[in-house]
This record gives sequence, C-alpha cells and structure tokens, in this order.
Amino acid sequence: MDTVINDFVQVLRDHRLRVSPAESIDALNALQNTGIGERETVKDTLRATLVKNGEDAGTFDRLFDLFFSMRPVVEKPGARVRGHDHDHDHGPPPARLELGEEAGGQKPDDAGHTHDKDESTEMRRFFEEERMRPSNDVHGDAERMRLSMFSQELILNRKPGAMESALQRLTYHMRLRRSRNMFNPGGLVPNPGGEEIPLDVSAVDLEDLIGHLHELEVDEAIVEQLEAQAENILKGLPELIKQMQRRDKLLKKDAGDDSEVRRRALRKMLRFSASEQREMEAAVRRIARRIQGARTRRLKEDRIGRISVPHTLRHNVRYEGVPFDPVLRRKREGKPRVALLCDISLSTRNLARFWLHMIYQMQSLFSKVRTFVFVADVAEVTQVLEEHDMNRAVDEIFSGRIIDADVNSDFGKAAGQFRDGFLPTINHRTTVVILGDGRNNGKWANPQALEEISQHARQVVWITPEPRWGWSLGSCDMPLYEPICDRVEVVRTVEQLGGVAEGLIKARA
Amino acid sequence: MFESIEEVRERLAAQEYVSDARLATVVFLATRLGKPVLVEGPAGVGKTELAKSLAGAAGRDLIRLQCYEGLDEAKALYEWEYSKQLLYTQVLREKIGEVLKPAKDLSEAAEILRGQEDTFFSENFLVERPILQALRSEESSVLLIDEIDRADEEFEAFLLEFLSDFQVSIPEIGTVKAKAPPVVILTSNRTRELSEALKRRCLHLQLGYPSGDVELEIVRLKAPGIGEALSEELVRTIQGIRELDLRKAPSIGETLDWAQSLVVLNAKDLSKDLIESTISVIAKHDRDAEKMLDHLGVNAAETKHLGQTEPTGENPSEAMYEMHRSAHKHAH
Repeated sequence: MDTVINDFVQVLRDHRLRVSPAESIDALNALQNTGIGERETVKDTLRATLVKNGEDAGTFDRLFDLFFSMRPVVEKPGARVRGHDHDHDHGPPPARLELGEEAGGQKPDDAGHTHDKDESTEMRRFFEEERMRPSNDVHGDAERMRLSMFSQELILNRKPGAMESALQRLTYHMRLRRSRNMFNPGGLVPNPGGEEIPLDVSAVDLEDLIGHLHELEVDEAIVEQLEAQAENILKGLPELIKQMQRRDKLLKKDAGDDSEVRRRALRKMLRFSASEQREMEAAVRRIARRIQGARTRRLKEDRIGRISVPHTLRHNVRYEGVPFDPVLRRKREGKPRVALLCDISLSTRNLARFWLHMIYQMQSLFSKVRTFVFVADVAEVTQVLEEHDMNRAVDEIFSGRIIDADVNSDFGKAAGQFRDGFLPTINHRTTVVILGDGRNNGKWANPQALEEISQHARQVVWITPEPRWGWSLGSCDMPLYEPICDRVEVVRTVEQLGGVAEGLIKARA
Repeated sequence: MFESIEEVRERLAAQEYVSDARLATVVFLATRLGKPVLVEGPAGVGKTELAKSLAGAAGRDLIRLQCYEGLDEAKALYEWEYSKQLLYTQVLREKIGEVLKPAKDLSEAAEILRGQEDTFFSENFLVERPILQALRSEESSVLLIDEIDRADEEFEAFLLEFLSDFQVSIPEIGTVKAKAPPVVILTSNRTRELSEALKRRCLHLQLGYPSGDVELEIVRLKAPGIGEALSEELVRTIQGIRELDLRKAPSIGETLDWAQSLVVLNAKDLSKDLIESTISVIAKHDRDAEKMLDHLGVNAAETKHLGQTEPTGENPSEAMYEMHRSAHKHAH
C-alpha cells in the first residue's frame, strides 16, 4: 500500500503538485485510521493530507479518478464466462478488516465472496462500483465485504512490472489451457469484439501472485480465499491487467499532453502554471520588500528596537518608577504604496499578460496598490483586478471595454493624462512602476509629464522588456525617459524578475 | 474522541452543524492523528462555527485566538504578570533583606539574588494566553486560531513549533508540552497565501458554498420559524444569486440572516417587494444589490407582473442599503 500511495504521490508531483514526504506519511497514517473500504473516504483522506492549495484540488480529483479507475469497459454479453460454478463460500468470514497494525502492508478488506448470480466472472463483478461498498443486499451478510476493486488495485499497483513479466513468460501456459478448454467455447475469450488478449494467467502466475501477497503479509485467510478463487482470478486478471495498462497509458499521456499544452500556452500567452505563479509570487514578494513606502519618521512602539527612556518612565510609574517594563520603539516601515502603470499596446501584448499577472500578484499582496493601464489613454483597473480572478481580469482588460487597446501606444499622451487625472493619487511615499517598452510611434514623448510625476513620487522604476541596445532602434524614447527614472530594469522572464528583485535588495544593503 | 466518521457527522448534527462526508472525514482524522486542521473558504461558510460545534460535540472547552495584524506571542502565548511580581517583591522585602543579610558585598548579594530568580519567573507569574491555556489544560480542548491569514508572517512561523509538536519554548521556564494535545482548528479567508511550512503541518479542508439540499437543511435547523415553502424558495433564490458575478456572493451566514429577517417580518412568500426591501441583508455592496435585483426582477416578471422598478442611484431604498451596509457587522 505504501508503494501505491507513493506511486500516486509521484503522479501528483508529475502534475506539479507539491507533496512533501511528510505529507505522504501523513496520508498513510490517515488511511490506517479510516480504512480503505470506501472509495470516497479514501479520496477525502488523501485530499486532506496531500493537497494544501485550493487550486490543486481539481487536479487531484482528476488524477485520483484516473489512478484508481479500473472499471470494466462495457459489459459485453460475449465476454461472460460460462459454465463455472463459483461457490466460494469458504474460509472464516472475516469481519471488516482494517488496514492493519500487524500487517504493515495492505490488507484488502475481505476477499471472501460468494457465488455470483449472473454469469459474469467474479473479478468482473468487483469492478462494478457497487462492489466497492459492503453489500448486504446480495448475501444478507453485512459483515462481509468483498475484495473491493480498490483493494485489488492496491495489490496490482504494488508491483505492476512483475505482474506483466510473469504474464509474458506464461503465454505458453495460456495456450495449454486454451486447448484444454476446447470444449468450453467462449470460456476463454474475454473480448470477442476485438482481438484476443494475448495474456492469460496460469497456475504458476497465480502462485506468483499469491506468493507476492504472502510477501505483503496479507492476512492468511485472504490468501487462502484468493487461492481458492484461483479460477476466477485467472479469468479476471487479463482484463484487470488490460485495464491497468490502459490506465497507465492514460496517466502518462495525460501528463505528456499537459506539459505540452502548458509549454505552448506559455510561449504564446504567458499564462502561468501553478509553480510559475508561485515563483512569480516569491519574486514579487522580494521586490515588494524593497519598494516599501518611505520609512516613517515617527518612532512607534514595537517588540524590538531601542529603549525609549521617557516612555519607559511614564509606563512604569505604576511600578514606582522601577523600569520593569521597558518600552521599545523603532521606525516602522510604512505600508507599501505602489502605483503601477502598464502598457498593454500591441507591441507589448505578449508581455502585457505577463505584466498583468505580476501586477495582479502585487495587488493581492499589498493593500495600497493602484493599477493603471494605458495605450494612448489611461484607465484605472484596480477594481477590475480586485473583483475578478486573474485570468478573467486579464481578459477583461484586453476586451477593449476599458480602453481601446488596439491603437498605437502613446506614452506622452498617457503620461499627460496620468498627470492631469491621477497625480493626487501619488505622494512622496509612492513608488511608481511603469511597465512598457517606451516605443512612442513617433509621437511626442512628453518627458515633462513624467518628470512631474517623478517629482511627486518617491521613486520611479521603469521595467522594459527591451535590452538597452534595442533602444536606439526605431522610435524608442527610452533614452529620453531613462534619466527621469530612478532605475530602469530589463525584464522578460520570471527569472529576470527575480534577478531584479535580488538587485534591488542588494542595492538597499 | 470519535469512533467513526459517521459518529462525527451525527455528533456535529446534534450541535446543529450540518456536515458532509468530506468535512467529517477531515475532522475524524484530525482527532485521530492529532493534527491541526486548516479550514479555508470564503467568509460565512461556517469555518468558525465548525470549531464551536466540534467543541460542543466532543464536550470540550473552546479556546479562541482571534488573529489580527500585529498579534505577538505576548498576546497569543504568555506574558509575565509584572504587577504581581512587583507586589511580591514589595511584600517580601523584609524576607529578601534576610536572605541577603549574609552577603558581604554587593556582588555576593547579586549572586544570592540570582539564585532566587526562579521564584519570580515561575509559572505563578505567568499570564496564560490562549495557546498556553490550551497546552496546560488538563483535558484536551479545542483551540480555534481564527483568521490566521490576518496575522503577520512572523506569527505564522511562531506557530510552527506549537502545531507540529504541541509544545512551546518559554525562555525563562523551558519547554511547555501539552498535557493533553488540543484539537487545533485554523481558519483562513485566503486574504493572503499561507506559508508552505504551515500548510504542511495541517490537514487541509476547503469549505465552499453548500449545495441546495444542505443549505435547506441548515436553514431549517437554524431558522425554524420559517415555513417549508418559503425556505425552499429562499434557498433556490440564494443558489441562483451565487451564480451571478458578484463582488461578495452571499454565504450561509447571509442566507440565515435573510431567513431570520423574513421570520421577523412574518413573511409568507418571497414577493418582489419583500426582496427589494430586504436585499440589503444579503448584498454587501450596492453594485451587488443592483445585480441581484436585476436577476431576481427578471424572475419575478415571469411569474407575477408587478411594476418592475429598475434600481437607480436616486432610489431612496438604495440609500438604505448603504446605511444597512455600514450598520451590518457580520461576525463569521
């Protein structure tokens, strides 16, 4: 079982969920408490222990269903095996077995099952979903649980490779069996519709499986029952294995597809995967520490800092002036005040998404961030970003409802509008961050407006995607703007953003 | 504490807390594994209520720690009771003199005094704050750390030791270990992302808005005065409203407020007028209120052809929402 869970965790990790070893141990411990009898409980348990981010829950659900999803494809009439009398009512009917203390490995709930009423094989029946629950309607024995599909999966998952190789070795036996069963037509053709499954299991195989189960220290009674059910298992296994291979393929394909799509999406639109978002968030956080508002001049009481003699004396009057409780004060960092100006014109469209993501992060991290977008006109989008989730907000901004995003960018006009309309929103504590390439399409650069903004703001940081050598090409007004800004950074990727953050921190120290 | 997941559900239901299998599983695991539970979800879906009901269901004390910006360990863990210490030194002045008598010089006296330090930094002089209280209580309690996302990141880091081992280190005394580990419930509104380290130590439970059936059950439980038909209509309306694109979708808390105000108004059914005059209970922003009325107005127009009034800024009832909004303090 631990292997199964580990495999599952591995699959989760492949899909970029962060699961720590401690968490998978938690999951195992938790399963010991809840048992593995009910699928939904197991799912809830694993979700609670392994998934810690709300947005990952969907991925988890999908993967769980896929990973533990061996069901019969369709019940075909021809696929039934006839002529076998399945009366396996042997063995002490064990009560519901919990994932045991004495057995470190897995313990299927119960392998005890009885005859089936319809003609489908026993194994096939296990696949049915209702078999996953203890059923008392069929046998009138509530205590009794079947070797649930879930447990079977656990067994098979334990060592898929071994199973397969054993099966391949033993196609030979299969033929033998087939000839022996010549007079039982249809008995060994589990899938008449398509080609025959080139797999069958012989006694040796079964021994292998049973030996395997012994290894796992599964309850003896169960193994005995399994042995007794040899016949059925023989019939069920090929189907089971086929299911498993299909599932594995599906899981792998799924992973492949995912990453491929993601890569393509990233190249095109710069939509971020969860991990990149996390990276981004960390980078923005680091940047944010740097672009705090101005340090306040006033000292405030704090847990650390210098002892303030007058305050200590005043505070300790009640102790007869004995300074029992020193009052410490220090300069507090003000709340960061940031005004973000983002160019969303066509020339920077692909980067604008990246920027807006960044802005979105910033805005969700800090209370006093105001965001503006511009092409030729400026509009405030702080509200839009607050009200919608990231992707919707980005779509909304690009929809053209807020500003016309399809005209040529005009920094001069935008700066002028900002100065006229929004200058009161910035003060000596505000850091203005401008995201844009400075390509003015030959229009008036209006550095005076930027200058005025810069005078009001604490500092102006310009983040451009274009390297310095590109500024001299085309109608780029960056050389005009650069002297006005406190710093100009070239950022194209998340890593670079992180680099800028590092640089800012170093510059401060 | 609980024997099975089913029992958790039943006992919570006895506390008038309607739970689903997922929630019950997580609570059950928390009591079994002794792990804290981190409950995340929008405001008003019963995160805090869960802790209260759990305490009730298990017959434990509920210790509550409300987090806020600037919360520190003096408020969360312990504080020295300076005035009491001072009082003792005053009263014991003579005794101290006696103790110090054999000292020949100042440094020797200081030495003796140092030997007595333990007296004044003993647990006697410790003011217990919620976390220490939970650790030192003889019986296991339920500790609710409410809205952890409001606290600073440093505080989160401070919690780590407590959450993983149920112990805290107090420099003057040493490590205090829990006599009976409490069941810890942390709640978060996700106003900011919590650290990975904290999340790793917790079981995670995401609470969302309930399904119609569950909500109906809750309304029946908590607002018994409301009629059968009306409660159904109410829940259906609320569920419809949640589909809208709102700034703050109404949560269970709002549903109950609404149900209760309808009971107070002695309403028989949800007429359009009634909705209009009570919309402020569920809408916390005027733009939301407008959207809701738009949405419901269309619905009402289909059934009863009442004079449909589009809400505008001049409408006096809208000014009322404003008033309501500021007056309405929602505690969830």
